[in-house]
Amino acid sequence: MPPLSTWLPVAGLVLLAVLLTWPVQKAMVRRHIFRREPLLALLVWQAVALAAVVSLLAALPLALWVMRESLTTTPLALGVAVVAAVITASMVVRLLLAGHQVGTSLRRTRRAHRELLELVGHEFDELDQPTPQLRVIQHPAPTAYCVPGLTHRVVISTGMLEQLGPPEVRAVLAHERAHVRARHDLLVEFFTVLHTAMPKPLRHEDVLAEVRLLAEVLADRSGARTAGRLPMGRALVALAGAQHPAATLGAASDSVSAAQVRLRLLTEDGRRDWIMVATMIGYAMLAVATPLAVVVWVTALSGAR
Amino acid sequence: MKISRRARLGDLERAIMDRLWALDETDPTASLTVRDIHESISQERDIAYTTVMTVLDRLTKKGLVTRERDGRAWRYQPVSTSEEITAQLLREGLDHIESSDRKAAMMHFLDSASPEEIDDLKAALAELERRQAG
Repeated sequence: MPPLSTWLPVAGLVLLAVLLTWPVQKAMVRRHIFRREPLLALLVWQAVALAAVVSLLAALPLALWVMRESLTTTPLALGVAVVAAVITASMVVRLLLAGHQVGTSLRRTRRAHRELLELVGHEFDELDQPTPQLRVIQHPAPTAYCVPGLTHRVVISTGMLEQLGPPEVRAVLAHERAHVRARHDLLVEFFTVLHTAMPKPLRHEDVLAEVRLLAEVLADRSGARTAGRLPMGRALVALAGAQHPAATLGAASDSVSAAQVRLRLLTEDGRRDWIMVATMIGYAMLAVATPLAVVVWVTALSGAR
Repeated sequence: MKISRRARLGDLERAIMDRLWALDETDPTASLTVRDIHESISQERDIAYTTVMTVLDRLTKKGLVTRERDGRAWRYQPVSTSEEITAQLLREGLDHIESSDRKAAMMHFLDSASPEEIDDLKAALAELERRQAG
């Protein structure tokens, strides 16, 4: 067997994984136009992330398949197999560890938070739109968030009820309900796990921030559909303008803030650019197909020999 | 039924904490015994003395109440006020800002905004309002 064909497929998959995690994702973070189609953009992000993981996980099985005959005879083949084994095994271990750590830490924090919330939060049903599991906490700072999970809670402060009009409150609640309903937390958790599992040089915080922003944009749209774009926009500005002082500490934002991006996206007319939609779908499919194509191609080639 | 039992216990925790929070804050010796709390709660619902005791025990372990021996009984006091717990919850919601966006347990409506941003936001909102009107 020629030496080239032994290491090429493995090297190809590793290179693909590196490309998909570093330059491709970096370029995607800069493609702000994707934000106009937040749902599709999240699909593309998942496709690319998944393709990178599949590439790394496929390295070992593929190397073994290609060299199933020469493994015991040529030292090079053995070397490649060992490298592939290390890559795949370390990726598996890292993913499992990260999944466990992130998952348990999130759930522990949320459970503790929920328990305290049950002590100080009040139920509230004087809204025209019932929000299940809504809790109101006594605090002058206008704020809203959700504690995601199977036993989720939507939390707003009395300060928010005082400072925002009913349409704005409706918009905020619809926004939070969208998070809870669509389980955006799982999406963010998935990317947090991948992020944590990646070797440090391959990580970038921008990806997590972008995924989180896209989830917010999606929820904003849901809020705008329920309560109108204007109330959604007003709620954004009102809550941004009245943040608790502690919130602004340490939030180093050199670029345009998430609130600004979200408001701008809300202002744009929602006309759908079908060419962009088609491009994004094609892009997502290509990302998933590439590592699979490499695997199929290599097995077919070496099987035919 | 595990879930409904847990919900009931959560309810009871709250009822107990409400009684402890009703104590005079300015009086450092103000405290309640299991009997005090049991008597107060059993006016509203049927509840066993031992259940109240168990829940108070749990609340102690969670660090929400402290207790001191008074003869043969324990006297209970809340560790923090409900306002303090609320403030703690709000801080937790924003904690991930400092921890470099890693483990965001909560999904916050809005993270933060600087004064310069607010002006920009207001301008963008005015634009949206103009469009909606026109």
